[in-house]
Amino acid sequence: MVLLSFINPLSEEGQEIVKEKGNLENVFSSNDELIYIATHDKRQNIDDDSLIPESYGDLAIKRIQWYIERKNNKNFNNDDYSYLFNEKITEADVISFHLISQAIATKLSPNSREARFFVESQGKIIEERIVKLPEQERKEIVNRILNQLIFQESINWKFLKELVASKKISLTDLVLDEGNIILDKEDFINRFGNKFKDRAPDRMYDIIIGDSIKELILTKMIMQNTENYLQKIREMSSKIEVHPAISELSEKIAQSISELTSKYSGFYGVGVSEGSMKIGKLIKEAFPPCIATTVEGVSSGGRNDAIVLLLTSFVSYARLYPAIFRNEGVDVKISDIDPNLTITLNEILPLIYEAADNCSPPLFDDQPQEKINITSKLGFGMYENPELDHEGETTWYTPMSCEKIKMHLPQLCRPDKLCAKIGNPLSYYSRAKWLMEKEGKSANNGNSNNNGNSNND
Amino acid sequence: MFKTATLEERRRYYREEWSEKDLPKFITDELRMREFGFDHLGHGPNDRYKVFRGKDSLRRFLRYKTPFAAYISVAFYNNPRRRGDWIKSEYVFDVDAKDLPIRSCDCDGVCEICLSEALEIVNNLIDTLESDLGIKNIHLIYSGRGYHIRILDDDIMDSDSELRSEILKYVAGAEVPKLKYGNISEGSGSSYNFEHFSIPIAYPKVFTKRLKYNIQHLKGTEEIDDINKKLLKDIIKNRDLLEDNQWGIFRSKIGPRRYKNMVTGMARVNLATIDAKVSIDLKRILRLPTSLHSKVSMKCVEVKDREWFDPFKSAVPKFVEERE
Ligand code: SF4
Ligand SMILES: [Zn+2]
Repeated sequence: MVLLSFINPLSEEGQEIVKEKGNLENVFSSNDELIYIATHDKRQNIDDDSLIPESYGDLAIKRIQWYIERKNNKNFNNDDYSYLFNEKITEADVISFHLISQAIATKLSPNSREARFFVESQGKIIEERIVKLPEQERKEIVNRILNQLIFQESINWKFLKELVASKKISLTDLVLDEGNIILDKEDFINRFGNKFKDRAPDRMYDIIIGDSIKELILTKMIMQNTENYLQKIREMSSKIEVHPAISELSEKIAQSISELTSKYSGFYGVGVSEGSMKIGKLIKEAFPPCIATTVEGVSSGGRNDAIVLLLTSFVSYARLYPAIFRNEGVDVKISDIDPNLTITLNEILPLIYEAADNCSPPLFDDQPQEKINITSKLGFGMYENPELDHEGETTWYTPMSCEKIKMHLPQLCRPDKLCAKIGNPLSYYSRAKWLMEKEGKSANNGNSNNNGNSNND
Repeated sequence: MFKTATLEERRRYYREEWSEKDLPKFITDELRMREFGFDHLGHGPNDRYKVFRGKDSLRRFLRYKTPFAAYISVAFYNNPRRRGDWIKSEYVFDVDAKDLPIRSCDCDGVCEICLSEALEIVNNLIDTLESDLGIKNIHLIYSGRGYHIRILDDDIMDSDSELRSEILKYVAGAEVPKLKYGNISEGSGSSYNFEHFSIPIAYPKVFTKRLKYNIQHLKGTEEIDDINKKLLKDIIKNRDLLEDNQWGIFRSKIGPRRYKNMVTGMARVNLATIDAKVSIDLKRILRLPTSLHSKVSMKCVEVKDREWFDPFKSAVPKFVEERE
């Protein structure tokens, strides 16, 4: 039987390993045992020395490398990383996992792209490790880990609501009854046995639920717990001095990810944004005066331009791609960043429509065609609503500069101190956000994504 | 009915008929943590950020001002006067009879037919919320032209828009159910295909039910993306098959490719049936139950018995009966 921490490095067993053997003095020192395991794996490619992890730190970096290579390299060969799926590596793997967590949480940030790659790579590693287990062992280990993760008899879906909110799990993929996620066969047959007319219920259980939902939940829960773990380290880190080895590791991780993503930048489309300009929830407190005024609603003169030209482009870029002006010339589409348009439909458009409603008179009341103009400024052609099929028929309109605003919509420009330093509302936003973060105002409290002034019948 | 109420009628309503005893308990509990908004002239609620310490001060305000419309926030704040320090929000489904993408009447506002169809839809939504998702503390409000489902379930009140939109997709049937089911015990290569109607439980069941409802209420004049005129006609021609759930035959009559179009189009109709903007909004204001919807001269009232509720019995103010 493999160790539980081979699948879940956050388990108690994993914590024990770290306590016993995780020593920050030897993060980068050559580790004979690790090298031995890697080179003696039957499938491992040993022609190239650089493929073999030499230290815990090295293994930490290779874990993430594996994920990026596997996703992007057309000639990817899993035997270059075979040791990652060898259960003998468990101890070293657990230690590296915790090292990466430290490095990312303290030196980068739980919201960085490094963190994202790490969490995603963890998910993929778990999936592949589980798949490679013999069937009986696979079932057993999944059940044992799930029992540790979920302490109740049956789980209410609300227990996993974080996973649902972050779209790691879709409610529509689960079998739900009275709020419970049905995982157990007997339970399934008790509840649904009489619903199936032409098929045997136990057979349907195997197909609909079987082990796949369990494995899905397990994998996603560990990913979520990894994110929470990063957050926790982050919160505690202000009180502790960061060990130099951890700083070094974080630099190496960041560097290795930069190299790989630029190598495969074709696959990443835009070349993910750098530095302080990150994708994130809209922070209204950071809106420049002109935008804040527009959101409150504009009166008749200039109403259309304020909503369709100014606000639409501002909000969409602010939410999805605030770094646009740093990467001028790149051709980017909304779906590069928001592939299912969920953010566009649930956050960006509602805000624009709300602002349109706040106008006097409300914009769509007498000019319903402006909806189409908004869609078109987002790059989705001339239609009432954005749809993936139409993307590219028009281009995603970039935000107006302050100069233009002053010319076309002078009544909206009421510059404040920060305005003196920028030439575009979007730069104002990035800067204001950055300042807020520096002052320690959390940029993500529960009410940052409300829709302001609104009412309904 | 459905005429705008005059100032005199509004006065009569708030002074003679309105009573604070009719305010639902979920509204009066923690009343002072909510924001109120009013529309005095019929131009939209521009008197906002109002706060009342209790039922008495609310009564005094309503009697004295007799507003065109009165609203209350779904949000609870520590400082409602400035919408400061948000605590939590009700989770709302807004189904407006006049905006239903599929309805069997031809009226251009609301009428008895579309109102009763809105109630049927709302009942289906509530059933799913309760039976599948186990959500508690659900209240139904007749809003004057449709229905508000107002949910005060603790586990959802403090959640963000993302979770709210995920629940909405499930309950509305706004996503086409997956077809492919992997099967591990038979080796990782094997998988099964199932149409939504061959799985009579969980989400596929919800979707099938919503789909059937839509098909049975089609008039033939709808304009639905992915469903062209010819397909619409064929759906209607064959819909009797669904009376006894002969989905397989129905699908073969339509043809697999067109069936897929139909399903995608209908998922979108399901989403459009509910005003999703309202569901994901954490700070919206909604009509105050017991208040008067002056535009149509109906009362906004809590629905106690949702199976038998009839707005023409329970939501008509006295002045309407006495008009002319
Ligand atoms: S200076 Fe620029 S950012 Fe500031 S208010 Fe004017 S237009 Fe907006
Ligand atoms: Zn009607």
